[in-house]
Amino acid sequence: MLSENDVKVLKSILQGHCDPQSIADLLAMKVEAVRATADALEEQGFLKVTKSVVESVSLTEEGRKYAQEGLPERALFSSLGAGKAVSELKDPSHKIALGWLRKKGWATIQAGMIKPTGSAPKGKDEEMLESLLAGPKGSADLNKKGLVDLKSRGLVTSSKSKEWRYEITEEGTKFASSGISAAAAKEMPTLSSDMIKTGSWKEVDGILYLDYMGSSYRARPYDVTLAADRIIPGKMHPYQRIIDFMRSIMLEMGFVEIKGQIVQSSFWNFDALFQPQDHPAREMQDTFYLDSLADIPDYTRVKEMHECGGAGSSGWGGCWRPEVARQEVLRTHTTGVTIKYLADHPEPPVKAFGIDRVYRREAIDATHTPEFEQLEGIVMDRDVTFSHLLGILKEFYNKMGFEEVRFRPGYFPYTEPSVEPEVFIEGLGWVELGGAGVFRKEVTAPFGIEHPVLAWGLGVSRVAMLKLGLKDLRLLYQSDIEWLRETPVSIKL
Amino acid sequence: MPVVRIYYDDMERLIGASRDTIMGRLAMMGADIGKRAEEEYVDVEFFPDRPDLYSAEGVARAMQGFLGLKTGLVEYEVRQGPIVLQVEESVKSVRPIIGCAVVRGLSFTSEAIESLMGLQEDLHWGLGRNRRKVAIGVHDISRVTPPFRYFGEDPARKFVPLDYAEEMSMHEILEKHPKGKGYGHILKGCERYPLIVDANDQVLSFPPIINGELTSVTEETEDLFIDVTGMDGMVHKALNIVVTSLAERGGQIESVLVKRSEGDLVSPNLRPSSWTVSAAEANSLIGFDLSSQELAECLRRMRFGAVANGSEVEVLVPAYRADIMHSWDIFEDAAKAYGFDRLDARLPGTVTVGRAHPSELRKGEIREVMAGLGYLETMPFTLTNEKVHFQWMRRQGAGAVHVMHPISELHTILRTSLLSSLLEIFAMNQHHPLPQRIFAVGDVVIEKKTRMHLAAASIHSGADFSEIRSALDVVLRELAIAAEIVPSLDGALLPGRGGDLIASGRKIGCFGELHPLVLKSFGLEQPAVGLEIEWGVL
Repeated sequence: MLSENDVKVLKSILQGHCDPQSIADLLAMKVEAVRATADALEEQGFLKVTKSVVESVSLTEEGRKYAQEGLPERALFSSLGAGKAVSELKDPSHKIALGWLRKKGWATIQAGMIKPTGSAPKGKDEEMLESLLAGPKGSADLNKKGLVDLKSRGLVTSSKSKEWRYEITEEGTKFASSGISAAAAKEMPTLSSDMIKTGSWKEVDGILYLDYMGSSYRARPYDVTLAADRIIPGKMHPYQRIIDFMRSIMLEMGFVEIKGQIVQSSFWNFDALFQPQDHPAREMQDTFYLDSLADIPDYTRVKEMHECGGAGSSGWGGCWRPEVARQEVLRTHTTGVTIKYLADHPEPPVKAFGIDRVYRREAIDATHTPEFEQLEGIVMDRDVTFSHLLGILKEFYNKMGFEEVRFRPGYFPYTEPSVEPEVFIEGLGWVELGGAGVFRKEVTAPFGIEHPVLAWGLGVSRVAMLKLGLKDLRLLYQSDIEWLRETPVSIKL
Repeated sequence: MPVVRIYYDDMERLIGASRDTIMGRLAMMGADIGKRAEEEYVDVEFFPDRPDLYSAEGVARAMQGFLGLKTGLVEYEVRQGPIVLQVEESVKSVRPIIGCAVVRGLSFTSEAIESLMGLQEDLHWGLGRNRRKVAIGVHDISRVTPPFRYFGEDPARKFVPLDYAEEMSMHEILEKHPKGKGYGHILKGCERYPLIVDANDQVLSFPPIINGELTSVTEETEDLFIDVTGMDGMVHKALNIVVTSLAERGGQIESVLVKRSEGDLVSPNLRPSSWTVSAAEANSLIGFDLSSQELAECLRRMRFGAVANGSEVEVLVPAYRADIMHSWDIFEDAAKAYGFDRLDARLPGTVTVGRAHPSELRKGEIREVMAGLGYLETMPFTLTNEKVHFQWMRRQGAGAVHVMHPISELHTILRTSLLSSLLEIFAMNQHHPLPQRIFAVGDVVIEKKTRMHLAAASIHSGADFSEIRSALDVVLRELAIAAEIVPSLDGALLPGRGGDLIASGRKIGCFGELHPLVLKSFGLEQPAVGLEIEWGVL
């Protein structure tokens, strides 16, 4: 598998270019691209790549000046003549020049007089300075002692860098000289459509050979164990997946999905469910009330049921007030939506369910949020009984993946009998999951619902916490994006 | 829910069964047994509809029946006593109803006192709506001299309240005493406060706030006077629960003559109420198949008086039961006695066809498209606040539903759009790699009406108009939403880099590059783009 670049780079190396920069200049490519290409060619056995660290030396500003004008000691030497008094050297730079003059042995000082010792031949350092005027040089090409001196005087600076040397192998030479043009090589993928169509490939002892331009090439084997780049897929929220799973169970069991408004009147949220107007659950501290009143339907029969009873019930007594029922709330459960649906559909059979947000005035923490999802299902039919409710619950929880279900008496204000289903969870034991019961006559009678209504509900977020192994409910709503990314689509439900 | 502490020793003695037998069946009678069982006791929660179970004695009475040790109605003897309590007109407008009783011959252990105090508190909560409807006072009768008087007193009246050494006026008690501060609101606006005094004008009780110190109950107390005051007939239920529970401890109940202008009352009245129920009705509710004899047997185990009479059962409901208002309440007890675990849990026979709500099908389509575009779904809260939702978004707040008593300043309104919630999620996730692309599909509430929106947002160094415009085009095409695009004046968007979506002359959405001031408010430091579309109304 050679690309157009592969071929071009290989050919330029065959022509004698052996470092990335010169190849890059030649082919007008980026150096990085040349290096990457060469590395790939090496893997295929076409090249040998030698990597070494080189030190590049160049002039500093000061060094450039002296390279052009000569070192200060050279200038001082030229001005000595036969001799000069030390006291004549006023400039501080002369002091430094004098030091080097003596160090290099070009002059001696006797009784305050500087005297030249000879002709002062040009030193290695001076030659080096001059040669660097042309541009940076590798340290390997320079005199070691001279370099140390110049460095200590701050006249040259050096930087280390990696250097690549390319040598073409025999196989590379064979390939590059086979007359393949760069343009042709571009047409040569791992396995091209043409190769598949013409069958110009063969597999020998588990190795794939591709025929190309009359030669046969071994397809480069990859290290398949290496991790690839990360791709982040878009996907559904894990919690939504659980909700949809529960929805699909309800649909399979023949239930019709219903929805209702988030803002409800107290009438539908409480009164229609025979919750007395002074019930603690209606207090401000548990319910989000709005500063507004709703229109409510004809309440005569509901009022009568609360105050005086009926349908075999004694009622709550006291006085039922429509203005209390008109107060609007954020629904505290979806049951208000359910009873309204039943009131609109009093003919049996009715099987309905909903999964929606409900609101409770609770401080937010790891196990409480002011809003959460609730599932609710109802069955209204001729001749359905409490035992049927238990059967439906058992089926529902089984489908949810809870194999063991048991039933404990419970209490809910608008159902009688009431039951608390419990499921067995490995490591946790029996866990209460939801509540159920038969709607009281006091609830159904005022709306002309004549047959029993079996109802159950459960907190969906609790199930999600169990299924997703979450310790903090807030994570469902204020999600950590990495958690969303990393949670697999396939959750063990 | 009320928690009753069950001491195993006490319970074994009261019931006459072993600890294992009791604990093995208790939950099936209707109780939540605490996870942590201690060496000597366990805390058990009982339901709000069964205040008669708020004491160890009440639990024992019910368990004896449930286990089949003693069944049928418990008949408590009420001796006619000499004590009279006079109700005066001055209290009628404040706290009109009172019931009282005397219970003699008690020998209090510390556990018995704890049980009685616990019962009192739980009744205040469960039946009494925090003492408003029912308040109970229990007194050592040997300290006072009958007859007693219940009347409305001047708030300046002084006496020594329970647990105090000095006199306080009733007015001061409401201001300073912990109970006064806790329950004083019940008497708000009243010119006179309820008071019970004896023949020598010594104070027994200041209902519903506090007793007098004089009559406090100790382990030496043998004879009790009990007053229950309140607003309606629940007063007498509470009294019956207290006196029968004390009778279970061996006390002898004695009546008090309550003299009232509307007619005298002999209190307590422990006569059971009579019901006639049909076995066929019970069978059709519960789904078992019991004869009237079998039904009666079940009910006797729940401590009802029950005799089969043809296909019906004559039921006597004990005077301490506060939850029986319909025959179904009786049938539920029969089902508990029969055992929920013995019921034939079966599916109903009617065949029905399921149907998803159209909005949920639509949401499924939206999720498919957004996931295909590489966006992750989020499900933010619908509750938010004006600062984040409007101020930070540089938008005019309109149509938002406000809750009256928010629990935190973070949750004061219902959202009217979704985009700000997505930016909040970005803000929480700045430590994670970019690009981040998220969406949400869900309810918003405008003018109290639920509408359904989709919002999506993308944040990374290269997020720009063309990215979100491309995504928008896909969304509109795939979801078959017809909308005209016009330049937007939305403050949340960068001028010249945002568009509005118009359908049938109404704005249904917007998209574009988010304004740097918006990003800054959310603490975001990378360019972000977003879109939002309303796609349905409930």
